[in-house]
Amino acid sequence: MKVISNDERASVTWKNIKTRRGKDGAARALGYLALLVMFGILASIFGYIMRGGATHITIQMLTTVGNGSTGGLLNAIVGTWLLVGVGLVFSLPPGILGALYFVQRKSMTRMASIMRMFTDVLTSVPSIVIGLFGYLVLVIRFNMGFSLTAGGMALGVMMLPYILRVSELSMKDVSKEQVANAYALGADDIQVATRIYIPQAIAGVLSGILLAISIAAGETAQLLYTASWNNSFTSGFLHSRVAYLTYVVWYGIDQPGQSAHNLAFVAALILILTVTALIVISKYVNYKRR
Amino acid sequence: MAIVPAFVLLSIVGFVFYYSIPAIKFMGINFFTTFLWNPGIQSKPPEVVNGVLAPFGASFGILLFLLGTVVTSLLALLIAFPLSFLLALTIELYTPLRLKRGLISLVELFAGIPSVVYGLWGIVVLEPVLLNSVEPWMSANLSFIPGFSGEVYTGAGIIASGIILSIMIAPIITSVMVNSFDTAPEGIKRGIISLGATKWELGKYLITNYSRSSTYGGTLLGLGRALGETMAVLMVSGGLVNVYPGSIYSAINTMAAHIASYLDSAFFDSTGMNVAALAYLGLVLMGISLVVNIIGRKIAGRGVLRGYESD
Repeated sequence: MKVISNDERASVTWKNIKTRRGKDGAARALGYLALLVMFGILASIFGYIMRGGATHITIQMLTTVGNGSTGGLLNAIVGTWLLVGVGLVFSLPPGILGALYFVQRKSMTRMASIMRMFTDVLTSVPSIVIGLFGYLVLVIRFNMGFSLTAGGMALGVMMLPYILRVSELSMKDVSKEQVANAYALGADDIQVATRIYIPQAIAGVLSGILLAISIAAGETAQLLYTASWNNSFTSGFLHSRVAYLTYVVWYGIDQPGQSAHNLAFVAALILILTVTALIVISKYVNYKRR
Repeated sequence: MAIVPAFVLLSIVGFVFYYSIPAIKFMGINFFTTFLWNPGIQSKPPEVVNGVLAPFGASFGILLFLLGTVVTSLLALLIAFPLSFLLALTIELYTPLRLKRGLISLVELFAGIPSVVYGLWGIVVLEPVLLNSVEPWMSANLSFIPGFSGEVYTGAGIIASGIILSIMIAPIITSVMVNSFDTAPEGIKRGIISLGATKWELGKYLITNYSRSSTYGGTLLGLGRALGETMAVLMVSGGLVNVYPGSIYSAINTMAAHIASYLDSAFFDSTGMNVAALAYLGLVLMGISLVVNIIGRKIAGRGVLRGYESD
């Protein structure tokens, strides 16, 4: 090995210092440019949606029902929340119980790591494939028809892995000693879950639920062929077709005429505000936990 | 209850496969090698081909949709990768610590914007810009590159889809990179700086050594998202069917967008072959998307749950 003297080392370090600093400066400038581009786009998206939405929003739009290109948005707003609610009904129990199972019992076994991988992979199934599955299996095979139930279940498939994994992550932070002590004092699994894991991890669990809701509220592709669309409210409730906001954005902007475009912008505004608020609250709740 | 996600995933794969069996029998390997998507003529009596009943004259080939998915996703990566690297580098090295959390949160906010909103923005902002200034300029000045010459049509198409997708996947790649820069041992980072390296050299070192696998993995995770993205592409792709895209300014269609746009007319096929063909297409899309995601996850050593770390 060649021995390098201190003088040589210093000369290597300071060799080309100008070009090296120049490169660093160029990288810094490009980096700031990238930040600027990215946040310029973010500002443009928010700006256009805010302007397009805020200038056309009326009380009438929020209080009457519509067909996606004319009328109001009340059926779509209510429908979005109904779908998210049904999605929660199907995804919350397996999400939280699954998370408890992972942290409490079999966190380290091979089986658990395979199950965990399946959970993660479920987030990456393309949403239109979930929609296709919902149409083929729920709507046709199980004879649900285009309905709130089918749409909600399709959303639940999307929400489940988020609820499960985020809950699990926050439950992992619960003190292992405390859990061991509880078992040593004779507590059973249910007591440990309800008295230790859930109370201590509640913020994380809540944050996961909010995240899942924010994702579900913005989804479209699963719903097109499961929930379909409904021009008003109908009495069938769980069995009837249902409207949702993302449909209005997609359908309205494609229709001729300013009023349909306005409706799409207002729907997008409501969506973007709802989703952003949910994400911010979710982050805040998660942050408070620490 | 922990087996529910696995059960759901396997039943999705199983059922989509089950429903695509008629189309697999009908088209076989030609599904991948032919180009025409012909739903058949419903007014004529259906015919039996390869042992399954199909509409008269029907033929299903996904070459165009495969091509569209690959081209738009690669274009998205081409834009998103350098952008993400620069973003990660800047957030990690060139911003004060106080601003760092805020910037990361803003990047994560991108991942939460619904895809129809991206689509809407693509239609009202991006397409006019492409149509009126960017694409005519490219057509006039870059026509020596193959595929860059030709007429500009509507602004919707390959470029618009690629740009929208790149904006959607950049946050994913950025967040994996930032995280891996963050978890690099503090000693290495300080050591490199104290030996006189510039921050750019530190970033270069991290990306080629410590964070290399995360970089590949994160890029694959972003690619996985781009492959499966439906609504935004559906809105800005122009919905090309049965025509070869002549140039980069052409409209395009992807596998996911085609399923979404075509399923409602497929209902009217009494033999069910049109729906089966879409199920086959869905199966192929899901297969590609899952493989890319699983490999990405393996390489990155972790997944991304929209800003929540998952190991």
